[in-house]
Order: sequence, then C-alpha cells, then structure tokens
Amino acid sequence: MALGLTIAIIAIIAVIAFIFIYYFNRFVVLGNRIKNSLAQIDVQLRKRADLVPSLVKVVKAYAKHESKIMEQVTKARSEMLKSTNVQSKVKAGDKLQDALKSIFAIAENYPQLKANENYLHLQQELSAIEDKVAYARQYYNDSVLDLENASQKFPGVLFFKLYGRESKEYLKIPEASRAMPKIDL
Amino acid sequence: MIIIFAVFIVLGVVIGFIAGPTYFTMIMILAVIISLVYLVTGYYNSDKIALASVNAKPASQTQYRQYHNIVEGLCLASGLPKPRLFVMKSSNINAFASGRDPQHAVLCFTTGALERLDKHELEGVIGHELSHIANYDIRFMTLTAVLVGMIAIVSEIFLRSLFWSSFSGGRSKDGKAQIIFMIIGIVLAILAPIVVAMIQFSISRKREFTADASAVKFIRSPTGLKNALQKIENESSQTNEKQRATKAIAPLFISDPFKRKINNLFSTHPPLEKRIKILERM
Repeated sequence: MALGLTIAIIAIIAVIAFIFIYYFNRFVVLGNRIKNSLAQIDVQLRKRADLVPSLVKVVKAYAKHESKIMEQVTKARSEMLKSTNVQSKVKAGDKLQDALKSIFAIAENYPQLKANENYLHLQQELSAIEDKVAYARQYYNDSVLDLENASQKFPGVLFFKLYGRESKEYLKIPEASRAMPKIDL
Repeated sequence: MIIIFAVFIVLGVVIGFIAGPTYFTMIMILAVIISLVYLVTGYYNSDKIALASVNAKPASQTQYRQYHNIVEGLCLASGLPKPRLFVMKSSNINAFASGRDPQHAVLCFTTGALERLDKHELEGVIGHELSHIANYDIRFMTLTAVLVGMIAIVSEIFLRSLFWSSFSGGRSKDGKAQIIFMIIGIVLAILAPIVVAMIQFSISRKREFTADASAVKFIRSPTGLKNALQKIENESSQTNEKQRATKAIAPLFISDPFKRKINNLFSTHPPLEKRIKILERM
C-alpha cells in the first residue's frame, strides 16, 4: 500500500516536472527562432547595403547629372549602417529601398545603362534581396505570432509569466507602402 | 506507415507458419537481413539514387541565379535550411524534392521548368517542393518507397521458395491445415505488394494537396502555383515526349512524370484540374 502510494506520488511529481521543462524549452525555442529571424533580416539588409556603392558607381558612369538621387541613396545607406537596433535598421532599409526604386526608374531613360551587364546583374540581385527581405520579415512576424499564441493560451500563459519572458513586437510595413496604390484609368 | 509495417509482419508470420521450423527459417532470416540492408542503404542514399536515376546535375550559382534566389527567399519565409539544388535535362515542366530530412534535402527542377515558368510560377512550384521538405514528406515518401520495395522482395522470395518446396514434400503431418495456410500465404504474397502500393499512393495524393496549401502559406498568394499547374496541364495534352524518370520516384515529382490520364487507386498524384480548382478558391 505504502509502496503504491509513493510510486503514485513520484509519478505525479515527474509529470509536473515534465510540464515545467516542456514549457520552459518551448518558450526558449520560440524566442530563439525570433532572434534568428531578426538576424536573417539583418543579413539581407547588409547585403543590400554592400551592393549599393557598386550600383551608384555604374549609374554615375551613364547618368552624370542625376546626382541628387545618388546622394539620397548614399545617405539612406549610411543611415542604415549607423542604426544599431533592428527596428530602426529596418526603417532605414525601407528608405534605401525607396531610393533604389527611383534609381531604377531613372535608368529607364538611359538605354545604354539599361544594357550594361553590371547594371543588369545588380538590378537582379537587388530585387531578389527585396524579395528576401520581405520573406524574412514575414517569417519574423510568423515567429512572433507563434510565440504570442503559445504565451497567451492556457496553461502557457502561466508559465510565460513565471519564467519572466517578454513578448516581441511585430514588424510593421512602412506607411507609404501600406497606402493603396492609386490607379488611374 | 504503421499499416505498411503491419502488412509486412503479417506476411512474415504467415510465411513462418507454412515454412515450418527448419529449412525456411534460414530463408526468412536471410530475407530479413537483405531487406534491412536494403532499408538502411535506401534511407541514407535516397537523394543520390533519385538524382542519379534522372541524371541530374548540380545547378550552378551563375547560370541559374533566379532559381537560387527564389529558393533562398522561400527558405527565409519557411525557416528551412537551403537545400542543394539540381537540374535535370528535359523540356517538360517538372520538379521533385528528395532526401531524408531538411538538413539533407535536395531539390531538382527540369530545365524546361526553369526556362518556361515565369518568376511567380517558379516561386509557386518551389514553394510546393519546399513544403514537401518542411512537412517531412520526402522522408515519408522515401521510407514507404523502400518498404514497398522490401515487401515486394519478401513476397517474391516466398513465392519462389514455395515452388521449390512443393517438390520436396513429405513434410505434412496435418495436410489440411497446411494447405489452407499455403493458400492464405500465396494470396497474401500476391496481394501485399499491391495493397501497400495503394496505401502509399493514396497518402501521396493527400500530401500533394497539403503541399499546395503550405506553398500558398509561404508565398501568401495562390496565383503563381495555380498558373504553373495550368501550364503543366496544357503541356501534358500537347507533348508526348517521354521523361527520364523511373516509376519508383514518380511520387516525388510535382506532377506525374508519366502523364497517366486515368485517375484511380494507383495514381500517385491527384488530378491537376482538382488542384487548380482548390487553389482558385483560396
């Protein structure tokens, strides 16, 4: 009788310990996934910044008097490299992307530039990076959502508070691109 | 998966019954050893076997820049490591993923797919294949393909050995029971490979739908994949060029490489129109 009771108590303690460990690990995994996805965004933004000087160089060779837009791009780039936390880095990255878009628009007026192999390669890479940044942000937001779901459901919510973990913020899309594009018919 | 294992065990037990203790146990042990070796090598080399059977070449970073870029982007979206990329020569639009887990995954596209699909369509198809990797379908398909092959081998061994043992004779203590078991054994040996193949194909068809849905989740738009499937469907009614693909790896492809028109229990893929219709509703 006493033996059965002790076994039952041990079993219950083991189950409780297991639940504690399970939730601890779950929140660690979900938190790390968010950290990793932020790092991925950072990697892509850095790659974009690395390509910008060569793009500026190529464009300058063909379109000399478009110096204003070049300045904008260079400024946005240095702003992005200066920013320390990811939120502001992402913001600066968006600004850089906008500036790059105007460069690509200007290039339409310079057929020789458009035919330049270097330029074409850079354009292709930069637009691929734009996609990758978008996907990395999507994954970041998905990971934040996963953590939020896990931390607000019962009994996860108890353990979340117990372990003193913090929820993360979603990355918002820039105001400008959220506005509905105007369509002229 | 469990059902396939069960069929395997039942087959083994029945064969054991008929076999009697001496002469046949040796064959059984041998069969088990052979099939274990087969299972292990098949499991660890599935990607190499699949790639070799279609004569796929690694996709170069410079020549297939877009292919690499889209895969890298969608890997970021799904949190998967980048699989190794391959290309196989064929003018048809097709693709498959293989390997045993996301860390050892390979992705192979036909040159036709890379040339004729636009960026969004390619994104859709790559998303579909990456979903197969993320959902561990590649491991499942590999394991079932190997298991189905294993059951086929065991059945074969049994049927052949039966043929030889019928000459040896003189072993029957209670003839009637022996004969009944013998018949059950023969029927099982013939049916088992067919049944497990049917199970494999039905699961394979279900997983195609799931992969389509996950692809849409990664890309956040069904149009690319839908247009790609439409292109594949139009193409299959035009060309009748044979693809370099073996039957064994047919379930891995995004669409049936043999373009079999009839849809039945032995189809590895659900009909394209049905998949397109579901994508349209998303």
